[in-house]
Amino acid sequence: MRSTAEIARCARSASLSVAALAASLAFPGWVAAETLKIGVINSVTGPEAPIGENLTNGIKLAEEDLAKSGTKVELVWEDDTGKPQIAMSAMEKLATRDGVAGVVGPYTSASANAVAKLAQRYQVPLLVPAAAKEEITRQGYQWVYRLNAPANVYAQVLLDAVTEVGKPKTIAFIYENTDFGTSTADAGKKYAEKKGIKIVADEPYSKGSPDYRSTLTKVKSLNPELVFMVSYVVDAILLMRQAREVGLKPQAFLGGGAGFTTAQFASDKAISGNVLTSTQWADDVKWPGASDFAKRYLSKFGKEPTYHAACAYASMMIMADTAAKQGGDRKKIRNALASGSWKGIMGDVKFEAYDGYTNQNKHPMLVLQIQNGNFAAVYPPDFATKKPVYPFPGW
Amino acid sequence: MRVLLQSTASGILIGGVYALVGIGLTIIYGVMRVINFAHGELLMIGMYLTWIIFTSFGVDPFLSIAITIPAMFLFGAFLQRVLINRVLNALPQNQILLTIGLGLVLSNVVMLIYTSDYKIITTRYSSSTINLAGLPISTPLAISLLITTVITAILYFFLLKTDTGQAIRATAQDRDAAQLMGINVKRMSVLAFGIGTALAGTAGALVSPTYYIFPQVGGAFTLKAFVIVVLGGMGSVIGATLGGIIIGVTESLAAVYVSSGMKEVFVYVLFLLVLLFKPAGLLGRSRM
Amino acid sequence: MRGARQVKTFGRIHLTASGFAALPLLIVAAVVAALFVFPWLVASPYLLHLMILLFLSVAMGESWNVIGGYCGQYSVGHAAYFGVGAYAALMLLQYKHIAPWWGVWVAIAAALIISLLIGTICFRLRGPYFVLASIAVAEIIRLVVLNWKQLTNGAEGILLVDIPPLMLGGRLVTDWLSKTPFYYLGLILALATLLVNYLVQHSKLGYYLQAIREDQDAAHSLGINLSFYKNVALAISALLTALSGVFYGLYIGFIDPASVLGVDLSVQMVLICIIGGIGTNFGPVVGALVLVPLSEALRANLLSKFLFSIGVVQETSRVGGFLKENLAHAHVLIYGILVVVVILFMPDGVLGFGKKLIARRARPLSATPTPLVGGLDGST
Repeated sequence: MRSTAEIARCARSASLSVAALAASLAFPGWVAAETLKIGVINSVTGPEAPIGENLTNGIKLAEEDLAKSGTKVELVWEDDTGKPQIAMSAMEKLATRDGVAGVVGPYTSASANAVAKLAQRYQVPLLVPAAAKEEITRQGYQWVYRLNAPANVYAQVLLDAVTEVGKPKTIAFIYENTDFGTSTADAGKKYAEKKGIKIVADEPYSKGSPDYRSTLTKVKSLNPELVFMVSYVVDAILLMRQAREVGLKPQAFLGGGAGFTTAQFASDKAISGNVLTSTQWADDVKWPGASDFAKRYLSKFGKEPTYHAACAYASMMIMADTAAKQGGDRKKIRNALASGSWKGIMGDVKFEAYDGYTNQNKHPMLVLQIQNGNFAAVYPPDFATKKPVYPFPGW
Repeated sequence: MRVLLQSTASGILIGGVYALVGIGLTIIYGVMRVINFAHGELLMIGMYLTWIIFTSFGVDPFLSIAITIPAMFLFGAFLQRVLINRVLNALPQNQILLTIGLGLVLSNVVMLIYTSDYKIITTRYSSSTINLAGLPISTPLAISLLITTVITAILYFFLLKTDTGQAIRATAQDRDAAQLMGINVKRMSVLAFGIGTALAGTAGALVSPTYYIFPQVGGAFTLKAFVIVVLGGMGSVIGATLGGIIIGVTESLAAVYVSSGMKEVFVYVLFLLVLLFKPAGLLGRSRM
Repeated sequence: MRGARQVKTFGRIHLTASGFAALPLLIVAAVVAALFVFPWLVASPYLLHLMILLFLSVAMGESWNVIGGYCGQYSVGHAAYFGVGAYAALMLLQYKHIAPWWGVWVAIAAALIISLLIGTICFRLRGPYFVLASIAVAEIIRLVVLNWKQLTNGAEGILLVDIPPLMLGGRLVTDWLSKTPFYYLGLILALATLLVNYLVQHSKLGYYLQAIREDQDAAHSLGINLSFYKNVALAISALLTALSGVFYGLYIGFIDPASVLGVDLSVQMVLICIIGGIGTNFGPVVGALVLVPLSEALRANLLSKFLFSIGVVQETSRVGGFLKENLAHAHVLIYGILVVVVILFMPDGVLGFGKKLIARRARPLSATPTPLVGGLDGST
């Protein structure tokens, strides 16, 4: 026989647990786990998936290293399928439901730009590893940090490299009609004008077209000395194949990152020879641990890493390490990111405000040239391991 | 001048592929009066089949059409028996929706199996060219144009000279009369859909050395195929061939003289003009 | 008995709204009231988000229903109105700082102009040709928006910075920073589209539209001005779709040509209607109820988690891994399968199928043949 008091206590605890259950359904953040959570937004599926895979693998290597050093983090993976709206939903979920301490990602420029706005609104530290669009860190968002160099550097370093070894006077731009393509090409056009190189063609194309031959023929007839292309992998391959077909022969092919930096592109020797591309990272650069990272990646995943893998790895290491040291407090993490400095496979990392950028790491980019199916760093001189072949010797 | 010639040449080459897709669609419409919105996906399946054969057995894409054609024919016949047959007498709108649904199923099943990663076939001649009167002509596209011409010729011969071919044409002309004449119209429908699918799949196989392969590749081709069929005249094989070439050249010239991003707009505007002013198309009979 | 009531109201179709007995009306009122109170009880932004998506899908489906379901003109290019609405409102807000409650009028005007244009061009065409033309027009609009960078920012899209706070008579109604105002806006939008559908269906306009749907030539010979009524239906549909587009743009805060003008969006609008039950008032609601939770459950891997938790599949096994990776993207596949199933076996959609089941049990001798599309016997 239970006393009235006992029954009352039972009833109270029962109703409390029901209330707690109801509350946890309505306010999932309340019953958050004790472990430190870091969100990852990436293009796991969708058209950007092949490159997205590099970010995933880079972060997985970071996970291993973090575990080895005793930093306890739980990663919450979200797939944005390459679409900004989905990246935004993912960010909302991470910020409000999962209660993450910080977020690394997304991959694409469009997604990163959209998510940056939300990071600022929900006050979650966001570290963008590899997105090029300049605007991302030009909006004064105090909660958004970017590791990689922005689009203007992609173009700058390429044009600086060629003007070092030659005197090109005209340039043609062929780029995909997307956020990434347009913003990188715009940066390129601005810098070309600054360097006094005349823009003779401006051809945005719709991704997924089988036939670029007419566009390339048109460009060829304008005789550009430089051809600057911005594409993801398959378009890069198609463009170069068809460029070879129509006999487009400028003094140099300049590839604005992404597709042109993948091993898949390089291995197609018939078309990739002597293409210059700008990149955030190469495995033969003298940054601490860079070549080991490449070897580890190759043995674990069977492919060579692109710069995206290195960027993602470094970003996750920085974010997780900072988050753990600050006990998962978002504000403290933000302050630590703003004031800290790191050294790793991406070289020196420090987030600064300059030239209208905020929380932007002044990352130096490299120019690689594909020589015989392999990437060789040719510029800037501090990082160069080989001399560039210029002008383009022909097909 | 060179640019004009070059882009016209590329237009004709790619137009040949479009034509093959269009012919398949026009046969299906002609015989069954079904607007097949899944046609692009059938092309996509042909591409993946070619890719599988290429990567697993190392067979050249052009040679593997010997396998692709019968395989796709059987697949098409299967689809017809199981799905399309049931809506032959339904409202055209329902037929359209069924084929849209079918297209979604096909592309998404492939996406589940192979992911949306873009696949690319690289052969020795993927970027080589033949020199024709000083113009570089893409080798794989030239070969595919050749094969397309051969297939079209065989098809035309089949439709004109053989009994089965004439039975198909009779069914297309007047289904009821054909049935009264003792033609098994059900079997003709199966044949028509099978042939249409085989042609779409073959077009996919032919274009695969010069393009890339992904589950959603069908979408772009379906709409263009309709433009071609309407332009050429629903039910006319020669019309579809002409239509394909015209669309290919229009696209190519628009890319050069206007802008690469807007080239499809010209195709669609042409489509609307044809629908409004000459809906029977160049060679078809008015069937609206 | 339900069957008897149906027969009775058929004759009094002008006096009583068909099938509108007291009980269903009360249920509807109760549901609406519950929906209004919902945000007070539930604060989870995620659940509110799901409801908002639901309202948006209902609105899109109901908008399409006016032209596709009642009038029988299957436009598969409705993304044109959605996207034009979204772009008009957002461009004005972002570049000219015109608040969306003024911008929405411009969006509506733009959509109406486009619908008149499309109507004049396309309504001469019948059936499948109309479908093709509608797709072509939507694609042209998408490509123009994509390439006209100075106007629309092209592929980069428009990322909304801020919506100005809504003030009424000096008092702040909302600053748009939480989900709640969007919830109510979405709910009102969905209810409005339902209301418009109901009004159209039970008006003379509705009769003309259904007559056109059933047999255009017969309707014409009866003196119905085909092109006028088709254009009216399209205008109504375009207006509602544009409103949905504006709502989407404001809520999500980001639009680009692919997300608001793509063919897949147009197809989705049609699917919501078809799967639910075309030509019915509540069909699109059912369709939205089927599609939205399904796609979200799949995307968030809830289905896989459920299977793992009840032990049917091991998470670490190959099947488990496959499910975890891929089921999230299977929702479009399931839409496709649903469409095929619905067309083949349930041409009246899930709603029609459900009603047939109920009717068959209540009235074993079915006198009226069931038409393939919609119901001219006054059943909703």
